Amino acid sequence: MSLQEETTYKIIDILDKESMSYFYRGHLTQSITDGILALTETNLTKANEPVKVKKRVYTILVEGLQNITRHQEGPQGHKSFFGVEQSGEYYYITMSNIIPNQNIDHLSGQLDKINNLEKEELKTFYKQALLENELSDKGGAGLGLIEMARKSGNKLQYDFKKINEQHSYFYLRTYIKHNLSTVDSNTRHLDFSNIFKLHEQLESEDVLIIFNGIFNQESLINLLSIIESQMATQPSLRKKVFNIMVELLQNIVKHGLAINDSDGNPGLFYISAINDGYKLNTGNFIKTEDIDALKDKIDQVNKLDNKELNEFYDKRLFNFQIDNSKESGLGLIELRLKSNAKLEYAFKKESEEHSFFTIEVTINR
Amino acid sequence: MESLILNATEDTPKIVLNKKDKEFLIAERSLPENAFDFYKPVYEWLEKYVLDPLEETEFHVNLDYFNTASAKQLGKIFNLLENIKSSLFVKWHYASDDQDMLESGQRYARLT
Repeated sequence: MSLQEETTYKIIDILDKESMSYFYRGHLTQSITDGILALTETNLTKANEPVKVKKRVYTILVEGLQNITRHQEGPQGHKSFFGVEQSGEYYYITMSNIIPNQNIDHLSGQLDKINNLEKEELKTFYKQALLENELSDKGGAGLGLIEMARKSGNKLQYDFKKINEQHSYFYLRTYIKHNLSTVDSNTRHLDFSNIFKLHEQLESEDVLIIFNGIFNQESLINLLSIIESQMATQPSLRKKVFNIMVELLQNIVKHGLAINDSDGNPGLFYISAINDGYKLNTGNFIKTEDIDALKDKIDQVNKLDNKELNEFYDKRLFNFQIDNSKESGLGLIELRLKSNAKLEYAFKKESEEHSFFTIEVTINR
Repeated sequence: MESLILNATEDTPKIVLNKKDKEFLIAERSLPENAFDFYKPVYEWLEKYVLDPLEETEFHVNLDYFNTASAKQLGKIFNLLENIKSSLFVKWHYASDDQDMLESGQRYARLT
């Protein structure tokens, strides 16, 4: 198994393949927050959620993101972490930011208090906190937590993980059930072990964002705007990443296989930072019978040097025999030209009909 | 000849094809999911235009970014514009620090 394959499958194993999820790891800015909110809105709308569920998920997101934005300074290499998952009947929202160790006791106390209050009591507590907040002007972390508890209608599960003598990760996770009327006291959904595993994996590979779900043009545009605003790098490299992302994600939109009548094609995308650039990975289903043809196409562009690639591109650009809504014949050549490295790929047979195809493109400065 | 004007969206470019005011422009960014369909009316408009063009045609391309599917459609458009027997200028605009966009322009210039 290649390194690329290994990392991808480690991530897939942790994420629920059936679920839709995205995780962001990095410094949150206003434009990234906006991108995450837009992405969530698209997904909630696609999933045909009732307005009430949509509003609740949205409010919890806004509060959570603002909470992280206010408190995200930490030691080198440690970054805030944020995720939304949809699995079966549930939406899960997970957030993690770095806090000074001396705040742990106060924060735990506050959360325990919130978790012990009944619905009506929470309302009163919220009003009281609102008033105090206005008077003291302390900045509303407490208010945000109460609001999250109120909107989810469920307990706020939390945990801390020590980074060093000064700082810890503070994890907060809650969920919303699609059918709001049924109370659910099941806490197995709030298990942190998978989240810890995922966070560790993302940290070790320096992954900046993962999107696991249905790919369509809308999710592509939202992901692009998040990545665009996240990369504090020179414009030429940012543009290359943008370029490759569009080609990779549109490949999934156009050539991926829809499973279970989904409105778009399921797939995985993640981007990680490397020393002098980025690595972009995608995974999607294809027909098992198409493996050989795809493999030949990639091997063909992998063999060519830069000059040959340019000649191949020229030839294809004006070859109007290959010209329809699905194919221009240029995508793979472009990936290879922009990356200056060979395209890494793997196929994993899931059944006689379906296989999972992963590809990695490395972009250097 | 009726003009074809399309406003830019987050994934499709601004298009101005206006014979009366002598304006011909493709601008901003082009990454539609289905470039073939998006450029179809543009191509059809130009197909009619090349039959009876102005004495001088100045066609501006001022794109920040385009995907490979759009690259193919641009190739098709330039190919078509070559049928203009009167004077034709294609002006390729790019940001001064955008090497990729410069190279793309040079590629089209070399091939048409």
